Amino acid sequence: MAMIRNKSRHRLVAISLILPFVAIFALVFAYPVVEVVRMSFTDAPLIGDGDWVGLANYRRLLTDSLFYTSLVNNGYFVLLTVIPTTIIALMIALAVSRMSGRMQALALVLFFTPYVLPVSVVTQIWSWMLDFQFGVLQPVIEFFTGKPVPVFKNPFWVMPTVAVVTIWWTNGFNVLLFLAGLRNISEELYEAARLDGATRRQLFFQVTWPLLWPVTALVLTLQLILQLKIFDQIYLLSEGGPFNSSYVLLLMVYREAFQLNNGGYAAAISLVLFLLIVVISVLQFQILRIGGKNK
Amino acid sequence: MKFRTIARISAIAALAGLAAPASAQQTITWWDFFVGGDGVRMKALIDEFNEEHPDVQIEATSLEWGTPFYTKIRTSSAVGQGPDVMSYHLSRIPLGLDEGVLTPITDADLEAAGLSGDDFFESAFEAAKGPDGTLYAVPFDVHSIVLYYNKSYLEGSRFLDDEGKLTGIESVADFEEAMQTAVDNGSETPLTYATGDDGGVFRVFYTLLSQQGGTLIDDEGQILPGDSTEKAITAIETMTKWQSEGWQPEQALYEASVALFTSGRSAFHMNGVWEVPTMTDLAADGSLGFEWGAVEVPKLMETQTTWADSHAWAIPIQGEEEMDPEKREAVMQIIGWMEEHAIQWADAGHIPAYKPVAESDEFTSMEPNATYSSLAERATYEPRSEVAGVASPAYDAAVNIISPAIHGYMSPEEAVEQTKAELQRRMQ
Repeated sequence: MAMIRNKSRHRLVAISLILPFVAIFALVFAYPVVEVVRMSFTDAPLIGDGDWVGLANYRRLLTDSLFYTSLVNNGYFVLLTVIPTTIIALMIALAVSRMSGRMQALALVLFFTPYVLPVSVVTQIWSWMLDFQFGVLQPVIEFFTGKPVPVFKNPFWVMPTVAVVTIWWTNGFNVLLFLAGLRNISEELYEAARLDGATRRQLFFQVTWPLLWPVTALVLTLQLILQLKIFDQIYLLSEGGPFNSSYVLLLMVYREAFQLNNGGYAAAISLVLFLLIVVISVLQFQILRIGGKNK
Repeated sequence: MKFRTIARISAIAALAGLAAPASAQQTITWWDFFVGGDGVRMKALIDEFNEEHPDVQIEATSLEWGTPFYTKIRTSSAVGQGPDVMSYHLSRIPLGLDEGVLTPITDADLEAAGLSGDDFFESAFEAAKGPDGTLYAVPFDVHSIVLYYNKSYLEGSRFLDDEGKLTGIESVADFEEAMQTAVDNGSETPLTYATGDDGGVFRVFYTLLSQQGGTLIDDEGQILPGDSTEKAITAIETMTKWQSEGWQPEQALYEASVALFTSGRSAFHMNGVWEVPTMTDLAADGSLGFEWGAVEVPKLMETQTTWADSHAWAIPIQGEEEMDPEKREAVMQIIGWMEEHAIQWADAGHIPAYKPVAESDEFTSMEPNATYSSLAERATYEPRSEVAGVASPAYDAAVNIISPAIHGYMSPEEAVEQTKAELQRRMQ
């Protein structure tokens, strides 16, 4: 008897503990998601109901050339950021982990500070530094290219520049993750390897790299999700231009919903983006896990 | 039981709290997008109104101009949390009607404000109407781009008359000659406007298009119908030439384009009348360093006209509710008062849309406003379309397509094709 009572009591406690979360989750996530799905089949404006139009929004999306442009730009941006930022973070983490005491703390603060800044501050700093007429970085660009470049107005420069800004901004967090991963690797393993005569190269590739792989996979996945959702920096730095060469899916959602009052179409685009992120990140994580097991 | 009693008491208290000041005094929530020089002048007007009218108090908030302002209006008024009166661009009315946020201004409303339709410039008053002729806003000003000039670069040339006023520009060729004259006299970039910003590019482009009699979007929703396509190409070609000759700055953002003129490096500046106070103030404290003037953009193509828009007053919907008639009357009283005191607003460079003020001695002797105020009668407003107007896809196309074209990234023909396709796509 006592056991049964305990069990039901246990369940009651469990339910009461998760209920607040479930309620909030249902209210601010599950319900809006269902609404977005429903809305994507209607011609609803930003606020209020619309008529059921079936798959019309999706059909329109498939014939919308801007959708493909944005898709390609999203892909290009992922290429420019995900792997580079992971490599850079790993290198910084390796360097920082060799320091000790105050120096290490100082280095960490320096690398982490940009991450603390809000996006509007980050973009403001960089648009000043890269300003075509007055930017302090223009002489540097001039040194390499022979003339100043209006980076956010040039179709070839715009995406790589936004990528550089993004990496500068978000890299500190990845460094932290890698550093935590490095600290988890037992010193004994290195000692044993050294006793067996392993070179530094071998130490990294045979000990550090495989043991760090779970963290690397995590960083890669988090970055992929984050960078597919690129919006703020584009909106603040280039507004999708010049001639749509930095137009991305979320900017399309924003413009359709808030500028043109096409709630239904915007919902369809955001749903496609959502599915895209889910599929790609699950795929990537699985591939990375298999890759990790083979090592 | 106890809970219910408390609830009832607090409900009564809340009602009483709401009702009490309403009978004694109307508080009007006012939202505008005036910051900077405009904002200071508007704030002074509001303070003056509040002082004169103890029974009607304006509670004003200034929000960010452009899409953020209009999105906020859209979302807040739909649930009844919007303002009682707001500033609105007339070019934005088509989208406002599509969103259903505007309430019609009736004849009774106008009467309550002490105004009538004949008091306004016709083009402005027409632009304040919906397609069916219903009035949705009360125009407050007409603002346009004007041609600012620095006399020091033109002295001794045929472009200054005996009184030192700009003269003799009647075609693109004349204007280009004037720019060349300025270059010869040491002006690095003789013409400056925001070549890398949406507003700057759009307004100059639209002015050149309209001066050829071209239409951006006609009433049937056709983009650049008929020979307007050719005219748009000509407009972009003209701007491209100014760029490739080095007569206008490369990728200048708004502030930089103004700075080029105020620092005395450019002979001409095409920008909105709202920069007049900047010049006046700089000239007054002696830091401008040259004599300046401002005129209506000259007739460069076939007809004399300029892009124009108006700030106006509009009353948004209040969610599902109707606005209390007494409150609405108070709102109209405010609008009427503002129109009558528009002379203080003219100080910000604008031309009052309200003719009794625009034709008053005080305004006709106000310089340089009086010199360029002739443009109000000849102005070309933006097309009546959801994809045109302030912060619209048409403005996006200006920075996204036309600006790259004038910087040589694509041909004018390609730019016009892309602009057409882009606006067509956004119209769906």
